[in-house]
Amino acid sequence: MIELDHQFTTGKPTDYNWDAILDLERLIPCVEGGRVIERIGDGSAKAEIKVKMGAMSMKFKGTVEVAERDDSTHRAVLRVKSREEGGQGYANADVTFALGDGGGTIHTAAQISGKAASMGEGVVVSVLGALIQDFTEKLAAI
Amino acid sequence: MSTGVIAPAVYTFGPSNAHLTVRTGRTGPAARAGHNLLIEPRNWQATFEVSAAEGRSSIALTVDTGSLHVLEGTGGMQALGDEDKDSIVQTINDEILKRTVVEFRSTRVELGPDGLAAEGELELMGQRHPLAFTLSLDGAGRLTGRTTFRQSDWGLKPFSTLFGTLKVADEVEIAVDADLGKERHD
Repeated sequence: MIELDHQFTTGKPTDYNWDAILDLERLIPCVEGGRVIERIGDGSAKAEIKVKMGAMSMKFKGTVEVAERDDSTHRAVLRVKSREEGGQGYANADVTFALGDGGGTIHTAAQISGKAASMGEGVVVSVLGALIQDFTEKLAAI
Repeated sequence: MSTGVIAPAVYTFGPSNAHLTVRTGRTGPAARAGHNLLIEPRNWQATFEVSAAEGRSSIALTVDTGSLHVLEGTGGMQALGDEDKDSIVQTINDEILKRTVVEFRSTRVELGPDGLAAEGELELMGQRHPLAFTLSLDGAGRLTGRTTFRQSDWGLKPFSTLFGTLKVADEVEIAVDADLGKERHD
């Protein structure tokens, strides 16, 4: 299990941020290479992420769902379950958002297997950390 | 100055009678995910003019970077396929070297019994900076050598991907392997 913590700033009110992170069609494209394939229902979507590594890329397909939400404390857990397309690997994560006025924090608890994991935990932590950092920067404009 | 064992003449090299290759490495926290590349241009020409007159020998090289081809990629998360190699070349052509011509012109070539030492200027992406290298000559008339340069010295930002965690190393190696053949003087 890899656990990472990040902060983000939007400069917008808590209620605005809350609506934004729970709107998967707005949130998922903030992940570089991420897109919604299909809304499954309220708070759940089929999605994919294509991670480019220069000439090569890896694609993970799966679901993103709002597994927990507390409207009073503005805390939500988004659960990601995905499998590597054309491979044996998977990437699962619980992403916990805790919002406040002007931004919030993100705690990511991820499990990754397959080719990506075979590069070693140090590589996975570096890439995942950089991906989430990029995500937080895009959240600023959500 | 002696011309050593290289006979005064104009030697012309290209892909049909010599090898010119470029090696790139990788760096960054996710370096293990990337590949070390061996690349060769398929359109280049070098002229090596050996003069008996002191200080008159020269080397000129012209490389069409639009002709690059990836020979091999080592390391990495998975083996490079032909499509991956083509995609790398596409990236080089579109985003890095943009099919420009690279030129080297010597300003000084010193010949010796075991080869030569050259100094000159390399023009890359509109910038010209000094480059020096030595080439060794073996008993069979094979001229070989390698040199390195830093992309950033020519204003190039090394290619990076995976959110900046995987980068092409700044230092690039160029190697040459040419046969002077029957024109060599023993």
